[in-house]
Amino acid sequence: MSEALMITALSELDLPNNLTLKMSEVVDRGMIDLRGLPDDKKFLSAAKKVLGFDLPRTPRSSTEQGELVCLWMSVDQWLITCPRKQTADLHARLVEALGDTHSLAVNVSDARSIIRLEGETVRETLMKGSSIDFTQPEFTAGTVRRMSFAEVAAMVRIVSEEPDVFELMVFRSYAHHAWDWICATAKEGSGVSFLGARESPATV
Amino acid sequence: MSNNPYRVPTAGIGDDVGRLIDPKKQIDFRWNGNKFAGFEGDTLASALFANGIRVVGRSFKYHRPRGVVGLASDEPNALVGVGSGNLQEPNLRASQVELYQGLEAKAQNAWPSVDFDIGQMNSIFSRFFPAGFYYKTFMWPQSFWKNVYEPIIRRAAGLGVAPGGADPDTYEQFNCHCDVLIVGGGVAGLAAAQAASASGARVIIADENPQFGGIGDIAGGSIENQPQTAWIRETAAALAQAENVHLMTRTTVVGHYHHNFVMMHERVADHDPALLRSGAPRHRLWKVRAKKSIVASGALERPIPFANNDRPGVMLSTSVRGHLIRYGVAPGYRGTIFTNNDDAYRTATALVQAGVSVARIIDVRPEANGPLAEEAEKAGIQISTGMAICGLEASVGGKQIKSVRIAPYSGSGRVSGAEEEIRCDFVAVSGGWNPAVHIHCHNGGKLDFDEGLQSFVPRPHDDPMQTIGAANGTFGLQAILQEAYQAGEAGGQSSKSAKAGAGKAPAAESVSENALQPIWFAPATGKYNEGNKHFIDYQNDVTAADLELAQREGFESVEHTKRYTTLGMATDQGKTSNIVGLGVLSGSTGKAIPEIGTTTFRPPYTPFSLGSIAGTQKGSLFHVVRRTAVFDWHGENGAVWEPIGDWRRAYCYPRGDEDKHAAINREILTVREKVGILDASTLGKIEIKGPDAGALLDRIYTNTFSTLKPGRGRYGLMMNEMGFLFDDGVTVCLAESHYLMHTTSGGAERIAAWLEEWLQTEWTDMQVFVTPVTEQWSQFAIAGPKARALLEKLEGDVDFSPEALPFMGCVAGTIEGCQARVFRISFSGELSYEIAVPSNNGRVFWEKLLEAGEEFGVEPYGTEPLHVLRAEKGFIAIGDESDGTVTPLDLGLNWAVSKKKADYIGKRALELPHLSDENRKELVGLLTDDPNEVLPDGAYAVAQVKDKPPMDMIGQVTSTYWSPTLNRSIAMALIEKGRSRMGEKISFPLEGGKTVKAEIVSPVFYDQEGARQNV
Repeated sequence: MSEALMITALSELDLPNNLTLKMSEVVDRGMIDLRGLPDDKKFLSAAKKVLGFDLPRTPRSSTEQGELVCLWMSVDQWLITCPRKQTADLHARLVEALGDTHSLAVNVSDARSIIRLEGETVRETLMKGSSIDFTQPEFTAGTVRRMSFAEVAAMVRIVSEEPDVFELMVFRSYAHHAWDWICATAKEGSGVSFLGARESPATV
Repeated sequence: MSNNPYRVPTAGIGDDVGRLIDPKKQIDFRWNGNKFAGFEGDTLASALFANGIRVVGRSFKYHRPRGVVGLASDEPNALVGVGSGNLQEPNLRASQVELYQGLEAKAQNAWPSVDFDIGQMNSIFSRFFPAGFYYKTFMWPQSFWKNVYEPIIRRAAGLGVAPGGADPDTYEQFNCHCDVLIVGGGVAGLAAAQAASASGARVIIADENPQFGGIGDIAGGSIENQPQTAWIRETAAALAQAENVHLMTRTTVVGHYHHNFVMMHERVADHDPALLRSGAPRHRLWKVRAKKSIVASGALERPIPFANNDRPGVMLSTSVRGHLIRYGVAPGYRGTIFTNNDDAYRTATALVQAGVSVARIIDVRPEANGPLAEEAEKAGIQISTGMAICGLEASVGGKQIKSVRIAPYSGSGRVSGAEEEIRCDFVAVSGGWNPAVHIHCHNGGKLDFDEGLQSFVPRPHDDPMQTIGAANGTFGLQAILQEAYQAGEAGGQSSKSAKAGAGKAPAAESVSENALQPIWFAPATGKYNEGNKHFIDYQNDVTAADLELAQREGFESVEHTKRYTTLGMATDQGKTSNIVGLGVLSGSTGKAIPEIGTTTFRPPYTPFSLGSIAGTQKGSLFHVVRRTAVFDWHGENGAVWEPIGDWRRAYCYPRGDEDKHAAINREILTVREKVGILDASTLGKIEIKGPDAGALLDRIYTNTFSTLKPGRGRYGLMMNEMGFLFDDGVTVCLAESHYLMHTTSGGAERIAAWLEEWLQTEWTDMQVFVTPVTEQWSQFAIAGPKARALLEKLEGDVDFSPEALPFMGCVAGTIEGCQARVFRISFSGELSYEIAVPSNNGRVFWEKLLEAGEEFGVEPYGTEPLHVLRAEKGFIAIGDESDGTVTPLDLGLNWAVSKKKADYIGKRALELPHLSDENRKELVGLLTDDPNEVLPDGAYAVAQVKDKPPMDMIGQVTSTYWSPTLNRSIAMALIEKGRSRMGEKISFPLEGGKTVKAEIVSPVFYDQEGARQNV
């Protein structure tokens, strides 16, 4: 029996050609939602044994090692992303390593859609749909931020800077809404360049 | 001159007059349909002056001709409509409309034309239209207000008209944070920005005008030994180069809210529609969170009301000077100046220097001395001190000023004695300055009255907000700069990475000015008093007499006076009229102005577009529509949609000529006779795991779950603390201490939050994790006698036999290459399964089900057939049978309400007398006497039918359908003591006098023994 065909939320949407940023759906990442107590040493070491690194404990941070990325979601929740084909195996290894330790690891690879955004206008485009100011200095590579974006629950991870690459995650049923919102707000000619040098303004 | 009647000959040549226009670049525009030309840099107001047009609109109530009064956003009079059709925008201030090629503008509230207006009759009969006229006159008969009076009044009174259709332009919003937000880009704002940005702080400085500099170009004085304009230019340029500063023009700070949340309205493309075509939004609404805000909003010049002071050509003094120096236009050929302060002398001198005659400076003060008066005298201008304007003569119709009359004015406010008539065609008025305290006041800022300025000034604000410069009542140039620097530097230190301070404020020089003498009202004299009006609020046509009348009629509080007379309630929010109105009230009541108090300053500072409030949220982005993985398939196959929560679910799938009813009936019979499939992906799904998971479920549900064995499921009910039913669903045990809860579609997020709240705030000792997984799974119901046969055709490792998977069993496996969870549950009463597969496989799996079921006649069914199927079986639906006031016991669900468990949410509440009362409404079934009669949803049952209400109501219909299975109507209802009334006939009086009778029966209409699902 072969694996069933996968149709992601955004696979049938067209990308307009008048955008100020590059936008695509990330389809090859799997996701595991991991819950556990941050002061439970058994839990932390079991997770480390499987992942090869410590779960990030700093709020709004992420740890990336090899093909694994672990995002801090809250004090007792993490989202681990990995190559989609490895998800079932990684999930099984986590469940096994965690054993009786109070924890919950769930494969949620299809629960969210990931939209990859790339370019100089990413931050200001997101600021048209969210009250988070991504131009503040703390928003460096690796930062994770959960937020309301385009009036829906969303989360962003800064993959790298210069050029900016962001991954926007929204629940699957909202994916097309977030996609359409970005298409509407990232149109050429509508960019906002917040702060920074500019032409001298008119004066009286 | 003949082409440009009021444009002074030297306009645009040199830097003295017309400094903002370029006479080499002509701009064509249309006014009331006629072609005119102006220059690049003109506003609509200045271009109209240049073309000899002084009447730009008709007033709100009396339809009097009106012209330009102010220089910018303070303009109360010259409201115009710009654009046409669905692009037309009403009520824009002509002084703020920038001229562009092809601009179309028109006058408002005028019929048939602005030059000849029939409504002017109102003015002739104006003595019959006093304050409160509408309240007093149109009282009777009551029904006439809505149908007769109001439509007529609305047509005659009012401002511009709304645009003709949907707005094709785009709007958007932008959110940001900053260390320092500076409101206003005049000298004070620029200096504060300079000081604040020196520390490295993130600074936003916003000004509502197209240029920075406020009125620095017409205010005189010098900064660092150069004209103010040079300093302004250099400072703004330096700020533009800074990496940490954001400069904004055409951006009005419209509101200040809690915690320094500030809303700004940026007019991105109004001045240049070409920007729209290149993708720019028309307006952008900024939502800024500022650590500190500095208000440098300047001051508003106030007029002095005198007889017929609304005639076109009566303008504020700085407006006359600004129009002259910026655009090279004058409001006429021969002006008079009416003032109580020194600044207006600058206007007189500037006019004469530009070649416009000034007939007289009329100063209410007994003496005029000081450098500005001397300069005016040197320019040969005649000055009359201790005098006031007591009359104004205009041409018939009031469009052209001919002369003013002046008379001696005593400090006590009396005008009497020898009069003199002065020929002139315009009047520049200055009654002093009101600090623009609006932004300071929006979020509760308080005011103090300054006797020297005769105006209100801000008291220190509770928010991290500081008002500086003229907005703070500080008028000396050097004092303004020092105040701005101090505020800017202090603000800059709010940055996390603040560097060293800004240094010393620049040095400035300005001429000294004498104190003003307060004057709120120059009454008309003698017979001129008859029929003359002294306008306080131009935009709402409120006169000094109206305010006095309101006092006489007992509207003593200023808030009552405001609402009775509409003073300050127009689109300008009383910018020019507010303090003057208070002054008039002070004079008529004998109370000091501070005793009278002010009315409330509310956002917005100026009107701004509804489009910017909507922002990106319009059309398909107005509100999210959540889509399941099979959403597109439903759409492609003719689904009629039903919104459930934010989801769109297929309601039914009409085929060919079928209407909805036919489709629903077909889909129901397919499930009853063959097999149907339903997209149930929207059902809430929550994984619950931990040593205390079973105990948690026992507290959340009314029935017991801790006894549930792995691989088994149970239907459960949830109550809130008040004992009311609020969600239901099947929870299955996946493994030891590991459960999967199903909730209603609309309840998914609410229930997840409910569980977290109990765990995080009340039962913190419980070891349980809760993870919502609704979006991970596509879930489909396969229901009908052929359901098992269909599933057995699928390739996979799941055994669907009744032995391996009995009713309420659950199993995991792989089906058609998909990881699958199979639940044998039924909401239709038929043999039924629900299968969950990962969402990205959902569409493929759905199509596999259809393919495998083809030989059995499978069809998809929608939410309406789902509801009829469950109603035939007497299954309740949350939100139909429950409405937040219904307990599980009311619904006869006693079997699911544990009597053994020690406690669970809502248990105690069920003991309360009103919930255990035997007279409560109980769920019953209804069969109408006429089987073809379907009761309306929500229909009331009454104890006894009477000719007309009121009748004693004994209950209401909760679900009502046509059942194709039973070929008759069925309904469920909550009826007082319903279960003890089995077999009774009750009546439902409907609209139109019809009464439907129905028999009370069991709510289970079909397959009462449940044989169909146990196969």
